[in-house]
Amino acid sequence: MDPLSLGLLVALMTIVVLFSGVSVASGLLIVSAGFLLVFDGMRSLELMPEIFFGKLNSFALLSIPMFIIMGAAISSTRAGADLYEALERWLTRVPGGLVMSNLGACALFSAMSGSSPATCAAIGKMGIPEMRKRGYPDEVAAGSIAAGGTLGILIPPSVTMIVYGIATETSIGRLFLAGVVPGLLLVGLFMAWSIYDTWRNGSAEVLAQRSYTLKQKLEILPRVIPFILIIVGVLYAMYGGIATPSETAAVGALLCLVIAMIIYRLWSPKALWTILSDSTRESVMILFIIGAAGVFSYMLSSLYITQSIAAWISDLDVNRWVLMGIVNVFLLVAGFFLPPVAVILMAAPILLPIILAAEFDPYWFAVILTINMEIGLISPPVGLNLYVINSIAPDIPLKTILRGSLPYVGCMVLAIVILCFFPGIVTWLPDMIMGPV
Amino acid sequence: MATLPSARAASTGGYLILRLIKGLSTVCGWISAVMILASVLITCQMIFVRFVMGQSTIWQTEAVIYLMIGATLLGLPYVQSLRGHVNVDLIPILVKGRARKMLAGLVLLMTMAVVSVILFYAYENWHFAWERGWRSETVWAPKLWIPYLALPLGFGLYLLQLLADFVALVLGVDRPFGLED
Amino acid sequence: TELRLSHQWSTGDVRHKVAEMIATDVAAANVDLEIKIFPSESLLKAREQYNPLSRGQVDMIVYPLSYSGGQRPEYNLTLMPGLVKNHDHAARLNESPFMEEIEKIMAEDDIMILVHGYLAGGFASVGDCITRPEHVNGLSTRAAGKSFEEMLAAAGASISSMASSEVYNAMQTGVLQAVNTSSSSFASFRLQEQVKCYTPAGDVALWFMYQPVMMNKSTFEGLSDAQKTALLAAAEKAEAWYLEQAKAEDAASVEVFKAAGVTIAEMTQDDFNAWLDLAKQSSYKSFVDSVPNGQALLDLALAVE
Ligand code: NA
Ligand code: NA
Repeated sequence: MDPLSLGLLVALMTIVVLFSGVSVASGLLIVSAGFLLVFDGMRSLELMPEIFFGKLNSFALLSIPMFIIMGAAISSTRAGADLYEALERWLTRVPGGLVMSNLGACALFSAMSGSSPATCAAIGKMGIPEMRKRGYPDEVAAGSIAAGGTLGILIPPSVTMIVYGIATETSIGRLFLAGVVPGLLLVGLFMAWSIYDTWRNGSAEVLAQRSYTLKQKLEILPRVIPFILIIVGVLYAMYGGIATPSETAAVGALLCLVIAMIIYRLWSPKALWTILSDSTRESVMILFIIGAAGVFSYMLSSLYITQSIAAWISDLDVNRWVLMGIVNVFLLVAGFFLPPVAVILMAAPILLPIILAAEFDPYWFAVILTINMEIGLISPPVGLNLYVINSIAPDIPLKTILRGSLPYVGCMVLAIVILCFFPGIVTWLPDMIMGPV
Repeated sequence: MATLPSARAASTGGYLILRLIKGLSTVCGWISAVMILASVLITCQMIFVRFVMGQSTIWQTEAVIYLMIGATLLGLPYVQSLRGHVNVDLIPILVKGRARKMLAGLVLLMTMAVVSVILFYAYENWHFAWERGWRSETVWAPKLWIPYLALPLGFGLYLLQLLADFVALVLGVDRPFGLED
Repeated sequence: TELRLSHQWSTGDVRHKVAEMIATDVAAANVDLEIKIFPSESLLKAREQYNPLSRGQVDMIVYPLSYSGGQRPEYNLTLMPGLVKNHDHAARLNESPFMEEIEKIMAEDDIMILVHGYLAGGFASVGDCITRPEHVNGLSTRAAGKSFEEMLAAAGASISSMASSEVYNAMQTGVLQAVNTSSSSFASFRLQEQVKCYTPAGDVALWFMYQPVMMNKSTFEGLSDAQKTALLAAAEKAEAWYLEQAKAEDAASVEVFKAAGVTIAEMTQDDFNAWLDLAKQSSYKSFVDSVPNGQALLDLALAVE
């Protein structure tokens, strides 16, 4: 069987196995073992544990649990609510002020959390009930939080950027910087949409508006200080010559734990265990997928499928933007079904050589890839943020959440188009701080 | 699909053996969490030793990597017992009743098969490293059988939890895929 | 017959070209032998190629042998400070009784050498030039290889172990102040953008790493006579070219650093001796202490003129 048809068979089998309800990581191991056994013999099965171990044997991966701990520690405190309340007091005059506060809080929280579900949970726990109480429609409340939470992987730190950096051997520090301006662009688009939506529905007047005095606006500010401390501390460690980007994650995790314990008095063993067990669960889930995806990509490479697909696509000889279009559709479809980390691990090594051959910037592509993954996070059947919204507000039906997040998907598609026309939005900040590649 | 993975931990239906296995998986989760916490502290200690004291950092990078690998592998049974491994339950939602139960059984059996294969070769690999005294190629040079032990241990305990889940499914104390009927 | 060759470098690297030469020549010989190359760790990770080769899961690798020094401590001699003086000395070492001993150990793991080859390297720093041991005192340093780290630690440097992918960032922010690695790695990490001074391998050099093309012995023995002949002929031609390129790499790296405005320093014979004295007290001693029969093997290596 030639590698391309074999690749098609692998794709088909992977879809069938993954849809069967098996966990994504085990599914990847099952498909890999099956194909290795049939087409490569026993000798390759023997290698599975070593490849699994080898894939995880990387210091940079350590920042994944660290950035998850940062998010978990902060979201188990009042900090999210404080941040959210501060924004709310300052944004009451804007149409849809509460939606804006939520989006802003999601964006700020993203600067501390590397994971989208964590961001979604931290802000949503407070934001969704509050919005519903004030008469915002369910779809607006759930949709804005689901979408706002996806910023967690675009605005640094970002777990998926780390995985991309490792898979493609690109600089993680540079990837983080590349996500900053597109992240702000996306926040801007989200907010613009919310203002327009509220104005269009004329609901700005209908919704009960609270107003705050200047004193109330000022007295909330000290409560955001811990956030600023963490962000400044992490940035200082990273750019002040103290630690490498991966090591910085540990500084951030420790800072967040310490702040949770000291400022928010969270020192009961039970509270600490909640933080640790939540982070352990998410980290193990992601790292298991990473190890299993390592075995899967060994299988693809060993059967020469990766190389053949890459050669096939680069032989297509289409316009580079047509190629980018095809890649985007592929990423979107993959994102519907798989969590971001799995898509990046399986797709990045195949796509990157093609992207580079078409003279696209790898850091720019990382951002495009990440925005595609953000769409995947709020689309069925596997949308991690949808799970989170469901656990916060079990009575909001899935189709209401989806209807609410659809306009934000539109914003993300628009962001991709804008970035295609103006790639400088991505490359400007890293070029300025780190010098051109 | 609308269920949070963690909202449906393994049910034991009061069977002692199932409870024991679930308890063992939970203990693994504790150890895993402690290993992650330790790697945070060790990394910060490394930054301190290098930046503030200007001394060599020989063992920290490697130690935290091994701790993270250990945490991942020992975390497998814990996350399994909490149903925290993310999945796509597209077909399970489409089929009902007996067919769904059969599918759940098949999925568990396939997972157990591949985990057993990895467990077998992981044990062999660990045994080699132990018998031949392999060390890591660094100045610190720890014995490799110690980090390698995480593989057979983690996958072994994961297999045990999967087996318990299979039994619970057959006995009818746990719903297939944790889905409502 | 199809053979699979794995290595860790990109397709522009000299070591990939050595593999490619062998593949091309063998294919041209028309003996039903095809070599499929898996570059850039696309099959196996850099440090995880030795055992799969030993078990025949991959047929050939291009591999820095000292990576397996934790399994076979004798291999540590293939990356030992000052043991190799220059490229011609390295070539003589390849034909010596010392290398025969190494090959005997390899044979126990069912592995043989197809192409011998050493590559050289040097120092780079973000501050003053490094030519003598006292220059690294107090610097945060990363070295490629255990024996070099032991020597640098003895010189008072603080050793930072970190992934190679982080070196660029670490040098930019000052987490790392000096690096010691191979000439080709310097350019591929783009360190010329960050460092102030580069001490390349010149007439004398400290850093030489043995990076041969290796093959599974049983797989080789299973080939037909015509195939073996074609493979060995291709390997011999590749070895001569590898040696030539190894010398050219050092000069090429100097050009890259010069073009980036980096100061180029030179190590004198006297500097070299100072390092060697230090290495004898640190890395040589640690090697002899930890390896049974280590002294005899070291003497064999030192005996090569
Ligand atoms: Na983030
Ligand atoms: Na999705």
